[in-house]
Amino acid sequence: MKQQAFLDKINPVKDKMYRLALRMLISKEAAEDATQEVIFKLWARKDKIKDYTNVEAFAMTTTKNYCLDELKAKKNNNLRIVHQNYENNSISLQKGLEVKDEMHWIEKIVSQLPEQQKIVFQLRDIEQLEFEEIIEITKMKPTAIRVALSRARKKIRESLTNKHNYGITKN
Amino acid sequence: MESQKIKELLEKYDAGETSLTDEKALREYFQNNEVTDNLKTYQLLFAYSEKTGAQKMEREVEMPASKQGNRYLWTAIAASIILVVGLFFFQNKPMEMNQSDLGTIQDKEEALQKSMEALKMVSELMNEGKENLIYLKEFNNTKDKFIKTE
Repeated sequence: MKQQAFLDKINPVKDKMYRLALRMLISKEAAEDATQEVIFKLWARKDKIKDYTNVEAFAMTTTKNYCLDELKAKKNNNLRIVHQNYENNSISLQKGLEVKDEMHWIEKIVSQLPEQQKIVFQLRDIEQLEFEEIIEITKMKPTAIRVALSRARKKIRESLTNKHNYGITKN
Repeated sequence: MESQKIKELLEKYDAGETSLTDEKALREYFQNNEVTDNLKTYQLLFAYSEKTGAQKMEREVEMPASKQGNRYLWTAIAASIILVVGLFFFQNKPMEMNQSDLGTIQDKEEALQKSMEALKMVSELMNEGKENLIYLKEFNNTKDKFIKTE
């Protein structure tokens, strides 16, 4: 496969890979490095890609595994990934600061979820993938996926509800 | 969509059992409708996933440099072959012409005479040219006025 043909295949998936890496590694820099690294890996194994009918799922699985390895390595070294990427440029001004604050809050809650729930939530609610695709990427059982997803959704809403009850004193 | 239907869908959503179409319907509903406080968390959650899904990688992907070098390698080889072949052709041509020119006079004495004539002509022309240089003496004359050598 020529490099250009490879890039044409990988480009539509690139941002998805990046978002998954960002979800797992939290730091923008680390996520970009990871995406780059995974694309290199895929390029090195480009002959195998031909055999995979679903390049996207394969790329996402590789990204997921790479990030898990990365997290494990960081944990072993007692390092924490630092990040300073709390910015918000896509929400319109009229919705205001209140929404921005909520978005950060959700970001924080999600970052505290267990890895599996994070991944499933990312793939389903953010990337809006079909369950079949999520099964292929995560190699999890369908029921396990639903349970993880349900827990993640409930946990996020629960935290939001708690926050609001603390923030706005309702009598 | 009536609120009863929404409520059912949300229950399924919480259990992780909604299909993508259901979720899309919910997403649209929360985007276009004001909701009561007890549904606010859903609205925020959908807004969040919408916003996060639009994130893009800002850095360009760089492919390994060695591969790019490989692409130029063949161009370089082709260019050097053309250069060598080109030099070979251009250097050979003038040499052939010289050899045929040298062969015009076969007789030795005639050749000697011809070259003598040629040399004589050169020396005559040299002398002719030298005559024009006589004005240069003026420089020395002027110089001698300032710098006396005894």
